[in-house]
Amino acid sequence: MTENTKRGEVAAFLTQRLAEITKRDPSMITGSSVFVDMGLQSIDAVLLCGEVEDKFDIELDPASIFEHDTLDSFLGLIDERIAAQ
Amino acid sequence: MTTWYLGLSTSGHDPALAIADEAGQIRFAEATERFVQDKRAWGIAPDHVTHLEHALKACGADPERDRFVVATSWKAVKASLDIVVHDAMLPASDTIWMRGLQAGLQASAGANLLRLGVEDGRRETLHFDHHHCHAAATAYFAPVDDAVCLVLDGEGEVGAASLFSMSSRELKRKWRGWGPGSLGTFYAWLTFHCGFDWRLGEEWKVMGLAAYGSILPELQGEMTRLLLVDHGRLKFADNETIAAIDALTRAHARMPAEPIMKAADLAATGQAVYAALADRVIADVREDGVPDLLLTGGCALNSSYNGTIAGRLGFERVHIAPCPADDGNAIGAALLAFMQDRGVAGVPASPDASPFLGTVPDRAIERKMAHAANGLSVTDVSGRSAAAVAGRLAEGRVIGVMRGPAEFGPRALGHRSILADPTRPEIKDRINAEIKGREPYRPLAPVVLEAEVGDWFERPQPSPYMSITLPWRSTVQVRVPSVVHADGTGRLQTVSPDSQPWMSALLDSLRQTTGVPVALNTSLNVMGKPIAHSVEDALAILATTGLDGVLCEDYLVEKP
Repeated sequence: MTENTKRGEVAAFLTQRLAEITKRDPSMITGSSVFVDMGLQSIDAVLLCGEVEDKFDIELDPASIFEHDTLDSFLGLIDERIAAQ
Repeated sequence: MTTWYLGLSTSGHDPALAIADEAGQIRFAEATERFVQDKRAWGIAPDHVTHLEHALKACGADPERDRFVVATSWKAVKASLDIVVHDAMLPASDTIWMRGLQAGLQASAGANLLRLGVEDGRRETLHFDHHHCHAAATAYFAPVDDAVCLVLDGEGEVGAASLFSMSSRELKRKWRGWGPGSLGTFYAWLTFHCGFDWRLGEEWKVMGLAAYGSILPELQGEMTRLLLVDHGRLKFADNETIAAIDALTRAHARMPAEPIMKAADLAATGQAVYAALADRVIADVREDGVPDLLLTGGCALNSSYNGTIAGRLGFERVHIAPCPADDGNAIGAALLAFMQDRGVAGVPASPDASPFLGTVPDRAIERKMAHAANGLSVTDVSGRSAAAVAGRLAEGRVIGVMRGPAEFGPRALGHRSILADPTRPEIKDRINAEIKGREPYRPLAPVVLEAEVGDWFERPQPSPYMSITLPWRSTVQVRVPSVVHADGTGRLQTVSPDSQPWMSALLDSLRQTTGVPVALNTSLNVMGKPIAHSVEDALAILATTGLDGVLCEDYLVEKP
């Protein structure tokens, strides 16, 4: 799988889950969307980290989603973790 | 310059320190509670200055010259994560309090080395994942190189369950649970409803009480819904469901001042629910071709459940370290520091799996004692101490022992123990009432020779650290009435002449005197206090309880 394909897969997964959790249309979620502005609660943000760990077989610090508070920024962190494997 | 790896358990409860050497071997390990004689030692620094000074001396470390790599048993400061504390099971105040303690101990870890002369340039601090520490500590004592390693506790960095695979002693995490969902929290909640206090470590009382109760099927069904198990991950039910089940449970609960047996059915029901939920987790983590399970985390102290695992759920054997709870993480942190610093991939193995890693009794005190016995008799029993103690036990006397390095972990395994003859039916009540000062229903444990475990127990298996409870064979129960619990089980310790020559010799002596090579073994303490640390502690127990004598190394101190 190429890096772009993998990034696309992660982006699709996050977009879908964020849409489900915050009850909004996926088309409304962009790379610059800020998690807090979307209404993502802190506990849901932490649990989303766990879902990413399970799905993509990486480890994330629980604080990482708060330090990377937009979709693009969080995707960048996940890219780094996947590349580091 | 020698490098030492100082592991510190920084949870805020059950602090402990452990020191590994340059070969990755643990040279010293001890819970802080033993040194300060304060049960669970809440909030006390695991590198408590005088305790640390004693530990460094015991290892031969030189604070003026050596290098110290300090390692904490947590990677993150829990309080720094800005999320609402889950309070549906336990009061949020307890969680917030503990997180404050953890934050303080994480921040100050290793600072006391400065007080002992270690310059800052020879000190560095590393932080390791909490469940990784549990796994590494357990791997150190494991008799196998390949296994599934399951961590179940109250709370980790992000959840209360982690799964590791160990291959050629290399640990790799396969997954970890996230968010609220914890078997440890479930048991703490159960403990409160049974009228006990988990903060005092009274989960034992629930487990022991369960044997006297009957399972309430309807409540069992409801309580099982408190936790969802999804591919091994644990998740609490929603708050409304928890509140409803909590209300149902309160109808069977006991207030602390009420008779203990009022909570027996609730204890039995809760223990059964714990077992059913743990079964689901373990069934989810089995791996084809891997017959060994390493079980760790505070939940691995549930000996009643532990004894049911082997031969079931896809695992032939279960291995539990002498220190599966947070005190043991001091060893895990020390080993992970050694591995990171030295570039070692696999967890070192203990050369003898010995749990005897703590303080040795002060010989000078023994000599003084001989001159200041004040009405006690002091006998030098060098070379014959096992036979001498066995002889006293056969006469119905109850003897404390303080021999060699202290055990690391919560169990007394023969170095800081109270021993008695289990063939005497009255001895259990006497120990509980006149020596330990605890509830009459509390069980007492047996020691048997590993080679003979099948003569005494169903589902025979080694239990070197008193980690599992097994059913006694029905035909032998009448021979050892003081160590048969209400449900016909015993939390056994198995010994062999190689691993524990002194205790094995004692059992052989008992075979000759009482005809039964089984000893009653309970910890050398009184209720509410940690296990005795110093010779003075042991003598204080002798002086203030109905104990008949104490063996301090080679000196047998006895009442007339």
